[in-house]
Amino acid sequence: MTTLSHQRLSKHVLNRLIDDAPSDALFLTDDHRRSLSARFRAVASVEHRRLDAWMVERAGQPYETFRWSPATARRAIGNAALRRTLNDPALTNFDAVDIEITDQLLRYAAGYARGGSLASWLSSCSPTVIGMVSVEAANWATQLGEAAEAIHHPWIVATSDAYYDVARARTTLRGRRDLVVTKGLTRTLLRMRAGAPGKSAGPGLRADLTIDAFADSSGLVASRVIGLWPEAGVVLSVDATMDDLRAGARDLVRAAVALGRHQLTRAA
Amino acid sequence: MTSVLDASPLSVMDVLRGVRDTRPVANTTSAAGLRAQLEDGIFDVLGPKLLDTPLTIRTSSLRVNVATINLSNSSLGQVRGILITQVLRLLSGGVPVEHAFDESLMAWRCDVGDNELTTYVDQLAPDELARLSTDVSAHSVTLKRSLGTLSSRWQPRTSLRAYQRLGGGNVILRDVIDLMVGTTASHEASVALLDVTTSPLGEGAERVLRYHALVQTLRTSTVPLRSSMFSTATGELWSCDVDNELLARGVDDVLGVLRAMKEMA
Repeated sequence: MTTLSHQRLSKHVLNRLIDDAPSDALFLTDDHRRSLSARFRAVASVEHRRLDAWMVERAGQPYETFRWSPATARRAIGNAALRRTLNDPALTNFDAVDIEITDQLLRYAAGYARGGSLASWLSSCSPTVIGMVSVEAANWATQLGEAAEAIHHPWIVATSDAYYDVARARTTLRGRRDLVVTKGLTRTLLRMRAGAPGKSAGPGLRADLTIDAFADSSGLVASRVIGLWPEAGVVLSVDATMDDLRAGARDLVRAAVALGRHQLTRAA
Repeated sequence: MTSVLDASPLSVMDVLRGVRDTRPVANTTSAAGLRAQLEDGIFDVLGPKLLDTPLTIRTSSLRVNVATINLSNSSLGQVRGILITQVLRLLSGGVPVEHAFDESLMAWRCDVGDNELTTYVDQLAPDELARLSTDVSAHSVTLKRSLGTLSSRWQPRTSLRAYQRLGGGNVILRDVIDLMVGTTASHEASVALLDVTTSPLGEGAERVLRYHALVQTLRTSTVPLRSSMFSTATGELWSCDVDNELLARGVDDVLGVLRAMKEMA
């Protein structure tokens, strides 16, 4: 049995979810890693696989061609901006976003950005488009900051997503996380998303929780993952139980199988 | 307190923010009651049966009688509205807008890519495009003149979408707030909502104000301080403080639209 819960967004719901998260520490062992690797190795692939929660939610359908836009750039810039405002509370979200964008442009000018990266795209944008990026990123930072402000426990903006390379399986897993809340020795993950949660939002959260656990060097599993959909005013959460982790790993392997089929169909 | 100004105010932002000392304590308890009222009302109108396709209510459902045609809903009217919203977004981010039409068109395209409406604009004849450009520039001048100073300390957010599923999925409330300032995290009510329209304000505008307040309350469980609407066609600003009576009327408006939709079906 899995532990998906559904709540309406209110001022104290995040604190309640963090307080009530399971307090027993759960660890993934080398056996778990070997078992995951064996399952992915059994799924043939013509190229290196990149899997994430979105892929699980879309039942393994490959991504359409990615293009940078204000909407696709807002999370990276918004999270970085929120991190800056934590370090310097005198900054507003707009100030922090402007500094972050300038930083990206400097990185490109200094030759540190590769082609196709966010910095490279920003450098090709007109001031109007950069203005739109700034507005979208500030929207993101404000919404995430507003949610985080109500949290009583110590929290940080995640410095990066969780990545896990499955050994000898040509597979990289990416788990998204926006905030990491610590309570004693345990941690709770929070992910903010646009729109409204669909029927497969729960499996998506489970996948994020599973990938985060595999990406942790000690194998310590976060006690709970919380998905926040501010546009719909909905909060979903999944607890760290062995059943949930198994289900999360199974969903990822199924996504890999489906992705392989799509790739074969496309090649034919 | 409700203020209805028939002349263009000195600044929309001044009215939106109001006087800080007189703000009430944030109401975080009314949302559940409103939701229950809506759920009961929806059950009365639609019954227990699950519909094949959910009924979707938007602000456009409240603006006009369901059976009438509004010229502002034409493709040209929609494009004009979208472009003025882009101008508002750029202004809220502190971007100076010199050539309203070109810049808003660029902002819109980078945001949505290609769709039916962008194709429609591409296919406009040169004289129609010139008319649209002049129209957007004129509305933009009214907006810029009236908006006033928007401090980034007020946490402005633009084009905020809201989505509420009610009646077991039979009814979906959709909303887009053009500009929101303030925060739901403070102890006093500080969230102000602004809808910018390129049509003159009419009877439906009051319903839209209430709808914005209602959906925002359902979404965040916190009642906003103020809901406002500004017309770039006339320079009029309507603004009302949100209280329980206004929210209850918002519930009645939604149920009224539902009844009309059911009769039409």
